Amino acid sequence: MKIFLSLILAFTFAFAQKVAVIDVEGMTCPLCTTAIKKSLKQIDGVSNAKVRLNTRQATVYFDEKVTKKQLLKAIEAVGYKGKIISIKTE
Amino acid sequence: MLRRDFLKTSMVTMGAISLASSELLAGEKSRKFKVVLDFDIKYDEKNYEAKLWNPLPFNAEYQKVKFFKFDGNYDNYNINRDNTYDAKTLFTSWKKSDKKKLLHIEMEIETRYREVSMKLIKKASKENLPLPENVKLYLEPTEHIPTDGKIKEVADKITKNMTDRFEKVQAIYDWVTETTFRDPKVLGCGIGDAGKMVESGYFGGKCTDISSLFVAILRAAGIPSREVFGIRLGKSEFSKALGKSDAKGFANISTWQHCRAEYFIPGAGWIPSDPADITKLELVERLDYNDPKVKKLRAKYINSWEMNWVGFNYARDFELSPKPTQFPLNMLGYPYGEIDDEVLNYYNPKTFSFNFTSQEEL
Repeated sequence: MKIFLSLILAFTFAFAQKVAVIDVEGMTCPLCTTAIKKSLKQIDGVSNAKVRLNTRQATVYFDEKVTKKQLLKAIEAVGYKGKIISIKTE
Repeated sequence: MLRRDFLKTSMVTMGAISLASSELLAGEKSRKFKVVLDFDIKYDEKNYEAKLWNPLPFNAEYQKVKFFKFDGNYDNYNINRDNTYDAKTLFTSWKKSDKKKLLHIEMEIETRYREVSMKLIKKASKENLPLPENVKLYLEPTEHIPTDGKIKEVADKITKNMTDRFEKVQAIYDWVTETTFRDPKVLGCGIGDAGKMVESGYFGGKCTDISSLFVAILRAAGIPSREVFGIRLGKSEFSKALGKSDAKGFANISTWQHCRAEYFIPGAGWIPSDPADITKLELVERLDYNDPKVKKLRAKYINSWEMNWVGFNYARDFELSPKPTQFPLNMLGYPYGEIDDEVLNYYNPKTFSFNFTSQEEL
């Protein structure tokens, strides 16, 4: 039984989805949101990304293998600066 | 208007709006253009819903929409001005489906050369009349048009010891047209971020950038002013750089969006100006700022517009109706479209997709 529970926990941990909220500097128009979203979604392991102009924030859904550095680099690659505010596991 | 797959047709005849006192030298000779806007909204998934907000021209003494018709397979639509700047917008939406999303708009637009006499402007400026309440919105800052900080410093420096309104306008116009240059690498008409331009000290841009800088400095100097977003419709009598068409008067205008500017002097009204086209003429014809042709256009475009163009609105940093996912909108010189929360690339007609044409009656 213990082995079984451990396996379930390990499985859940391995496939847990993480959610990062990132402040993004430099967005000036609605098109900026699409550029950032597309760049974030190109990362292997990012399942979804929502970017909002009014809050200047990106919400990114990703798995364990994605690093903070990758997320910030993807934002930087399209000309913006990101700052991670929070990361939660869902 | 909720039935899908049913071709809907709507026709609206637009009435003229009352004339502003400034339209005293609208030309006698008119130009007529048949303008066709075709949309076929594209996305990289099979099933999707789409929303489109398309700017429509306003009516004035110098531009009149004589005929307006639209049809398509949209599921819903409205024409509204429900925004801070009264910008007329045709909103259409399509429910989630794998079918094409089509919209076809036809307009007949009549334009007349627009000029406010310099004699009137100078006389009105000397009278120094109070500003009417309804123009004070155009003294306010917006996100991209700050009126404090470095913009204010620049305005104070340019207009030092000046009290006459038009004297200030002339000095700001001269400074903007001399300092800025057209940067062909800028996408579309540019963002129009006047604050960033002055902060960075880089004065290369396109029409929205240059018009916004002009507007921001004017507002900081106490002169009501605004960008006027629109689209070129055909041949310019002055230069191919400012509009062209084929021998039969036909032009594909999908990427011909162009931003101009206006400023207000009580007693003379709203006065047309186009500082950005000075820089376009210089770049395209490879002319120096002091070339006689550039000098001639500089003298013309402080108080006139050639009307091979039609204006849509004066809106900056505002919210459309119905409210899109992304807001505020920087400007509405281009069609604005969203699929879920993704913004369609209005700088690329082929991927959006849209095709705009204009046929001048010769």
